[in-house]
This record gives sequence, C-alpha cells and structure tokens, in this order.
Amino acid sequence: MSEFGEEYDVIVCGAGHAGCEAALAAARMGARTLVLSGNIDTIAAMSCNPAIGGVAKGHIVREIDALGGEMAVSADVSGIQFRLLNASKGPAVQSPRAQCDKKVYSLRMKHVLELQENLSIFQATVTGLIFKQGRVIGCRTNLDLEFFGKSLVVTTGTFLRALMHIGKNKNEGGRMGDYSAKTLSGSFLEAGIELERLKTGTPPRLLGRSIDFSQLEEQKGDERPTLFGFYDTRDDSDMFHVEQRGERLAGWKPGSDQVSCWITYTSAETQRVVTDNLHLSAMYSGEIVGTGPRYCPSIEDKFVRFADKPRHMLFLEPEGRNTDEYYVNGLSTSLPFAAQQQMMRTIPGLESVQLLRPAYAVEYDFAPPTQLYPHLESKKVENLFFAGQINGTSGYEEAASQGLMAGVNAVLKARGEKPMTLKRYDGYIGVLIDDLVTKGTKEPYRMFTSRAEYRLLFNHGSAEMRLMEYAKRHGLVSRERARRMDRKKAEIQRWVQWLETNRVGDSTWATRIRRILEPSDYPDELKALPEAVRDEVVYRVRYDGYLKRELRQVEKLNDVEKILVPSDFDYSKVKGLRGESAAKLSETRPTNLGQASRISGVNPSDIGILMVALKR
Amino acid sequence: MENSDTIAALATPSGESAVAMIRVTGSASGEIASSAFRLTRSPAPRRAVHALYRSASGEELDDVVYVFLQGPRSYTGEDTLEIACHGNPLIATRILQDLLARGCRQADPGEFTRRAFLNGRLDLTQAEAVMELIQARSDRAIRVASNQLRGDFGKQLDALKARLLATVATVEAYIDFPEEDLPPERKTAEMESIQDALTFCSRLIDSGKYAAFLREGVRTLILGEPNAGKSSLLNCMLGFERAIVSDEPGTTRDFIRERVIVGDYCLQIMDTAGLREARTAVESEGIRKTVELVDEADLFLLVLDASRPSPTLPDTVLARLSSDNCIVVQNKIDLGPANPLARELEAFASVQMSALDGQGLEALQAGIVEKIDAHFSHEGDDLILVNTRHSVALGELAACLRAALTNMEKDEPAEFVASELRGAVDAIGRILGRIDTEDMLDVLFSSFCIGK
Repeated sequence: MSEFGEEYDVIVCGAGHAGCEAALAAARMGARTLVLSGNIDTIAAMSCNPAIGGVAKGHIVREIDALGGEMAVSADVSGIQFRLLNASKGPAVQSPRAQCDKKVYSLRMKHVLELQENLSIFQATVTGLIFKQGRVIGCRTNLDLEFFGKSLVVTTGTFLRALMHIGKNKNEGGRMGDYSAKTLSGSFLEAGIELERLKTGTPPRLLGRSIDFSQLEEQKGDERPTLFGFYDTRDDSDMFHVEQRGERLAGWKPGSDQVSCWITYTSAETQRVVTDNLHLSAMYSGEIVGTGPRYCPSIEDKFVRFADKPRHMLFLEPEGRNTDEYYVNGLSTSLPFAAQQQMMRTIPGLESVQLLRPAYAVEYDFAPPTQLYPHLESKKVENLFFAGQINGTSGYEEAASQGLMAGVNAVLKARGEKPMTLKRYDGYIGVLIDDLVTKGTKEPYRMFTSRAEYRLLFNHGSAEMRLMEYAKRHGLVSRERARRMDRKKAEIQRWVQWLETNRVGDSTWATRIRRILEPSDYPDELKALPEAVRDEVVYRVRYDGYLKRELRQVEKLNDVEKILVPSDFDYSKVKGLRGESAAKLSETRPTNLGQASRISGVNPSDIGILMVALKR
Repeated sequence: MENSDTIAALATPSGESAVAMIRVTGSASGEIASSAFRLTRSPAPRRAVHALYRSASGEELDDVVYVFLQGPRSYTGEDTLEIACHGNPLIATRILQDLLARGCRQADPGEFTRRAFLNGRLDLTQAEAVMELIQARSDRAIRVASNQLRGDFGKQLDALKARLLATVATVEAYIDFPEEDLPPERKTAEMESIQDALTFCSRLIDSGKYAAFLREGVRTLILGEPNAGKSSLLNCMLGFERAIVSDEPGTTRDFIRERVIVGDYCLQIMDTAGLREARTAVESEGIRKTVELVDEADLFLLVLDASRPSPTLPDTVLARLSSDNCIVVQNKIDLGPANPLARELEAFASVQMSALDGQGLEALQAGIVEKIDAHFSHEGDDLILVNTRHSVALGELAACLRAALTNMEKDEPAEFVASELRGAVDAIGRILGRIDTEDMLDVLFSSFCIGK
C-alpha cells in the first residue's frame, strides 16, 4: 500500500515535458495516476530556450496533439511569437515554431495537471525504486514516503547525478537553482541498467533594458500564426473542458499581441576573447566527460571548428511577457563567468549588457535507450518505463512525445494489454523511438526531418490523419473529436477523388493541379473548403506520384517488419552470421527483421542470412 | 569466427601436376595440423614447414609442405591450413578424405571467398572480383578483375558516395536548418555536382558492356554462304577440329559456340548454318537460328569463297553489318586469286586467307584485335562495372540523379530534390553496404556551423 492509502496504476517520476504528457495520457485513459516532482513550481519548466516547435520538432508537437497530448495547446495559448519555418519550401518540411512565455506555459500545464481527473500530484524527490522479482513495484522518496504502482514511468531529465559547469566552477544540480538526483542512479545500476554521461548547455540570460535594440535586426512573427493544435476537430468541450468547470487557465488568444526576437552577431573581438580563454572552458580543459550535441555546439566549438567563419548569428529571444529577461540563442558556453561577461560585451548591441544568469554546461546520467523495448519499457526491469532525456534525447518536443507514449504503454501494461508502438511510417514519433531503441545515441538526440525516410508523408497538417487510429483505439481523444477526425478524413478522400475524376477542358483538375495551378484558379468548390482540408487535399493531389512511391516503400518495409524474431533467439547459433553482427543483434534484441536491419553495423548480407535462419 | 565448421577443398585443378594444394579453413584447422603432423603444440603461424602427413589412423600419406595462418590474418579471416602435397590425384584425394574423416566438410564452390566476405576480409566488390578472376577468360579480364580485387572499383564508388553525400548534406542543411546563418544556397553548384555524379555513373554503366565482353568473350558470328568454309575457319582459329567439315554444303545445322583467345581478348565464336535457300527442314531451322543470332552478336566474320563472285546476303543480316563490326574473310585463296568484293562490302576491312592451311590467319587475328580495340574497348581498365547487380543499382542511381536534376530545373521544393538524392544514396548503398542517415549528418555537421 502507498502512503496515500492506495496502489496506483501508474506512477510518473518527474513532471517536466515528458512527465506531464505521461501523467496526462495515463490519467485520461482512466488509470489512477500519481505524478511526483521534486519541485512542483517547476512543472513543465522550459529550462533552456523559450520556444516550442521548429523544423521536425513542430511536426512532433502536432503529432502529440493528434494523440491527445497537451503540449500543442499549451504552446498555442502561451505563444508570444509564431513563425512557420520553411514557408518557401514544400508542405512536407514546413513547420510551426512559437516563442512562448515560459512562466505561462509552465503555469498552465501545472493547472491542467491539477484539474485532471484520476491524477494526483505530489512534491517529493524520488530517491530510489522498489523492486520485487525483476519488476518495479514502487519508489522511495526523500520524505521517507513510499509509493506503489503497477507500472512506473521515469522522466529524470538532466537531474541524474547532475553536475553544472561554469569554467572551473562546479555545482550539483540539473538546472541552475535546482537539485541533483544523487541516489536514483544507484537503483538503476542495482537493477543492471547501464548508465552513461551526456552533456548539454544553456546560454546566458540578459536583462532587456541593458540591451541596445537600435543596433539589432528585428524579427517579427507571422501575421497569420500557424498553430500547433488541431482546432477544427475539437469542439468547445474538448478545447476548454477545464474552463467549463469555472476554472481560468493561464494564457491568451493564440497569436494575439506578438512580440519580436532580435538578431545580432559575434564580432572579431568576441572570437579573440573566446580563443584567449579557451583553456578555462570546462569543455576544453577536460572538466566535462559527457558527450555534447553536434548540432548545438558551444561558442568555443564554433570558433575552433569553424575558425574561418567571421561571425556567428545570435538570436535574442524574450522569455515572457511579464519579464525583461532575454535568452541568447546560439551562444551556449562553459567559459568562466568573467570571460562570459567580457565576451558578451564584444557583441554589437550588448556593449553594456547585464547578465541575469550565466551560461553553464550540465552533465547528467542517461540510460542508453537500446535497453528498452519499442514501447519504452525496460528490457531489464518489468513495468519500468523511460521517457525523455534519460533516453538520451534533447528537446522539449522529443521528451513530451516519449512521455505520452510511455504513459499510454504504462497503462496498457498495468491492464495487461498489448503495447502501442508507432511505426517509422506513422510519423516522427515513430522514427524517434525506433531510432532510440534500435541504434541508441552517442549525443543528445534531436529530431531532424532528414532522419525520416518517409518525410514526404509527414507534412504537419496530416498528423491527425496519420495517427487517428491509435488515438481512437486507446481512447486518447474524446469520442466527439474522433467522430470529427473520421469526418475530416472522409472529406479529404472524397475531394481527392473528385479532383481526380472531374474534368476541366481535356484534363482532370488533378492533372492541372500537378502542372502547377495558381490557388486562385482552383475550382470554387475547392476554394470554399476549410483551409486545413483544402491544403491536405491539394498536397495529396499535387505530389501524388511521390507520396505513392513512399507508400510503396512503406509496404516493402512492412514485409520485413512482419518477420518476427523470437525474444530468446540465439544469434550465436546462426551459421555464417558475422561475430560482430551476432553480438550487436544479441545486445539490441530486435523484435523484427526490419528493426534488425537498422542496427548500425548490421549489413544487408547479415539480414539475408538471418532471414534464411528464421524461415528454417 | 566462432561457430563456423571447418571446410576443406582441393585448391588446384584435379589431375596430375607437380604439386597439389589442399586448403582447410575454420576453427579446427590448428588442431588438425597438430594431429596430422604430430606437433606437441599448436602450429607456428605464417611459416612453411616440411612434414609428414599422417592420417587419423596413423598411416603416412605424403611428404608435404604446410603453412598455418591464424585468423583473422588469413584469406578467409579464419584459421587456415594450406597443405602442398605431391600432385598425384590419388595422394591429394586420400589427404582430402582423411580431412573429411577428421570432421571437415567439403567446401561448397566459392565458400572460401564467401567466408572472407562474411568475416569482413573482402568487401562485396572484392569478393565478386575473386569470382571474376576465377572465371576470367582473357588477359584483359584478369587485369580488370585483379584491379577490382585491390578495391579500385570500390574506391571509385567510395569517391562517388562521398561526393553524393556532400550534395545531400547541403540540400538537407537548408531544409532542416532554415534559421541558421548558412552561406547563401548555390543551386547551380549543387546541380553541377549532381551532373558530375551522373556523368561518372553513366561511364560506369557504359563500361558494363565491355565487362561482358571480357567475361563472356566478344560474341563473334561467322556468317557466309554454304560451303564458304565457315566451319574450316572456326577450326583454323581453334587449332583443332571442332566443327564437322565436309564438302557437302549445309553440314552445320546447329550453331556451334567456342571460346578462342585472340590477342588480349576472348572471343565467343559462333559458327552458323550457311545463308541460302534451305533445301531441307533441318537446314531451314538452322538458317532461322542464324538470323536470330545476328541480333545478339557483337562482331561478324563474313566468310566468302574468294574464288566465286560475292554472294547477296539477306537484308535482315546486311542491315546489321557495318565497317565497325564486320571483317570480310576471303577464304580459299589456296584455290586461286580472290575476286573483287561486291560494292556493298567495299568499305569493310577484308582479309584474304586459307582456312585450310592457315595462310592469312595472323592477319585475321590482327584485324580482329584492331576492330575490338577501336570499337569495343573501354578507356581505363580500372573503371569497370562487373555484374548485373551493380548494373541494376547503377541504373537506379542514374535515374534518381536525373530526376533530382529535373526537379531542380523545375524549381520543385527542396525536399523532392532530396527525395531523389536519397534514392541515389540508397542505390550506392546496395553496392557498398547500407549508408545510414548518421553518415550524412556527420558530413552535414562537419561542413556547416549549425547551432542556433
């Protein structure tokens, strides 16, 4: 029995972006859920940049929304600037991005959690897990209270044995001002779960009134904001189900009253300061052992690795409406504070800037995700699920999507039902989790559209259509929203058909659209459709050939994914299989041949040999 | 490699010779050496040792020289024992039988090479080159296969892959990082590098035909009227009697294929039934086949009876002949001086000879080499496409590159260009082994300063 007198179905340890989605998904499926956080004032904290979305990440947020998650709506109502990235490219790689008011985002999410039925929130730091016969059955906390549940989702973020670096200065903690989870790692090791170190960093925060904005280039939001949430399939009860009970959630009308970001560049002087102080940087003096991301190098890295690039672009992004704090995007560093301050003042517009918080690097434990099944349950400990940065990822969106998936699967496990896994062709969430559990990662993993082999099928507007069957099957969206999704899908299909069959002159409308037809020349009936439906219809018709080709590839993949590998399969007995491949396969234990083929170091010839062995 | 059984096979052709070589590979190779040669410890690797081979039952089989190679430093990557015994088929067979009795398995054809490939000792193109080398039928083919064995083909493809990955990385960088301070996109440069890759790829594809010449031999068809001496010519070129020669016209009813080495080249010569109005059903079938073969052939030897006026040939045949692919052989000059050639054959190279006594054969051979050199050979033997698998993959590669270029010309969105380029990378991966997105990202992050 738990301290609260009950056994939970699902306990979520951590209430960051992964933890919130896990807890909400579980509770919304009707499971008795508890979410524990070391500090409930930091629920859904945006520890790094004040933005959600961007190329591939924005796609993920829309997919989260299609699966009934909360991130999209929270970002929309706390958004202070909206931009559609890649607007000049094709629909598949266009992606929404929003600067958000950090505090409002976090406050709203906390409130949504508080109001959620079946969900309990409690402030306590999880210090260890309680195991019984190879399973997890609960957790211990710093308050000496124990909690028991059927399944447990761990979302530790950067907090496991977390160490922050500013030059030679070191502080324990996963985020400045917060603590480090020092003992929980021991529980994982005790259970045979391997841990490794990763590193990430965050730039300094500046005081707005000390910035000379007249020297900076302004970047405004889009006049017509592109939102993350699908509102055409929601009715009021879906959208404002909490407000209807008389509660007032934080936020505002999405897209209203947008604010600007500001662009500046490093100078030659900046480069000199960085180079002169390089030996003092925690990254360069060998203080840090964890691996940092290639796509988010520190300013030290940028000047060293791209020494001939004269200047580096920086974005100054407001952290909220009711604060004068600015985030310096593009300038993460682990230089000592004095060097940071000196460096900042070499940047045009920042000559007399005041730093509110220094930049720092943080090192933390993660559990290499190849130790997980595709439904995010540990292969070593039953009923134990992992989501977010503990799986080696980076980014709020990547974390939230895993949280949602882990939450759903924790419930299904508690109920003894089959897990829910997305395929690589279902969307970015499918690619993300398959990459993690199949290939693992050496750096904090961030999603790029180039990681998806079926990228053209993943235009952000189609997220609901791609994922609705999962959402319906597991009750992740309300019945009313599911009905509207069905109607929308039927309408899209009907219109695609209509354009393919109805002729204008000697060709069909579809043919004309494929030959590039100005939207103003579309048939009136098409023009009259709601934008979300029209865009989807036009995309499907216009790029029919490419989309069909990707669908054919999907079928091919499906054929090998159908060949299942028994979980106790003995690779060492397969004649002709290279020793190195057998070792990799035994370690990863792919569930099917498709997954096996994606393991790095496993060659097509190995798959051929394996296919023969499996068919025998 | 663990778990592999130990295989053995005769590595030299069977039959009498000075020395025969038996090769054993697999984990039991060392034990077998210790036992057969009565060693007190495991055999010293990479050393030629003179020893007495004793069978499992203790019988002395032969005086041999053996070399033990410890994996992975052996051809197959596994422990290997090479035994050179006297080249008496009986001795070699008895040693082989003894090895099988000791638990070895008779190796399947190509199994040594297959193991070398599976153990990572050879890449796929190298493994295929070994098979080519074994099958190679001319000096030129051997040279090409051994270039490939050294990995020249693989190196060329690696270079193509690197070039292509750089282009993909560039296109992808502008898709995935629109907010980064990237240098302005230079579409013309991207198009040029795709065009370069396409040109290179087309050259490889073109070389495919040449590779087939080298592997299969240049398909050479002997044509002519009945009794012009076609079969005599074949026999003369072969140096022994293969075709039935008789004074009776229309003797060759089935066509005959033989391989002949001429200079550096291998010719696959097909002797055919004479072209004339058929007198019997069997003969008419032979003539029909000849006409079919005309389409398959690369080179024609048109045999004329020099003592008679030039014949008229069927149009279907004549249409395929040109001065590039045909040599006129004026045969039977032993019977008297040659008649002038018919007007339609005047432009063709011609050789006067007697297939009966071999007079003029050298001139014919020189003429053939000259023709092949001029019209079929391929610049640079290092750049050769070897087999169908490569040719299919390269065909897809070329199609993807062409489509990528078209998309760029039509100003289609970048992700559709990228889609084609990915197809191209996958196609190369089918030859070189799978290319992961990580490889592309490595190129991307090392070429562009990403990090907003």
